[in-house]
Amino acid sequence: MNLTLAQGIVKASALLGAGLCMGMGALGPGIGEGFVAGKACEGIARSPENASLITRTMLVGQAVSESTGIYSLVIALLLIFST
Amino acid sequence: MAFSIEHIQIAAYLGAGICVGIGAVTTGIGSGIIAGEGAYGIVKQPKANEQIFRTMLIGQAAAQTAGIFALVISMLLIYGRSDAPEGGWFKAAAYLAAGLAMGLGSVGPSLGAGYAGGQACKSVARMPKHGNAIMGNMLIGQALSQTSAIFALVVAFLLMYSVPNQPADISIGRIIVKSVALIAAGLSIGFGTLGPGTGIGYVAGKASDMMGRFPNEKPKIMRTMFLGAAVSESTAIYSLVVAFLLIFAL
Repeated sequence: MNLTLAQGIVKASALLGAGLCMGMGALGPGIGEGFVAGKACEGIARSPENASLITRTMLVGQAVSESTGIYSLVIALLLIFST
Repeated sequence: MAFSIEHIQIAAYLGAGICVGIGAVTTGIGSGIIAGEGAYGIVKQPKANEQIFRTMLIGQAAAQTAGIFALVISMLLIYGRSDAPEGGWFKAAAYLAAGLAMGLGSVGPSLGAGYAGGQACKSVARMPKHGNAIMGNMLIGQALSQTSAIFALVVAFLLMYSVPNQPADISIGRIIVKSVALIAAGLSIGFGTLGPGTGIGYVAGKASDMMGRFPNEKPKIMRTMFLGAAVSESTAIYSLVVAFLLIFAL
């Protein structure tokens, strides 16, 4: 596949965008999910009888918080493969 | 622009500087947090000073891991690279990207491991009797938070040693695409490990803290810690996948 300079710059920008998108996009969910899990550990230690309820809430909260990470993944894959 | 061997050297030295420069920032902060909590713990519980001191040192050693990875990559960039001119722009971009990947990649894990170690020192000071259980939990948690630093290390090694030389008859567009893809791979895994590393460190810190307050709930606390850390790790794995695609699929 041969590319001219302009085509190369367009594709290269898309790839740089993909890398930054996934990198920055992973930052928020990682910290957020860690915070949820940390508070869940605290909650389970304080009231172990509600362990299953707390675990369920933790997983639902993490799934919601994960969604932006998945958006970033989708956008990164689109930028890599469909430009 | 004509390519010369100096371009590879410029990229490699710049990468080495960025790598250990950024990598040292939170390694220092993390170790400092642990030492601070350890010192404060000894003030509160002078009888347990040996145990607190031991936890502090082991925690600091684990928090330094990512900084040591950055040092290794930086040394390899200075002394272990190939300066052959056949490498071309591909090699130059790969060396810069390796430095970026490991430098940025060690920020989150060191901060996380530092928080975990600090909470563990606090917890040992509160409950010296359960010091060994707390220290074990701290080490497991720090190891979990360092996994994302290991992802960054793997990507940095791949960038340094598995990027092919630039083919002779290649268009300028392809050169730009491939070189930028390598740098983007480094940025993806570098920033991508920041969040999970910090988040898992927070989980490990809270788990160590609670292990000292409620030692009877150890199995439940550890189960939640593992589950939460695994979910939190997922975005680092997405970044790793994107970095691999950028290195190998283009």
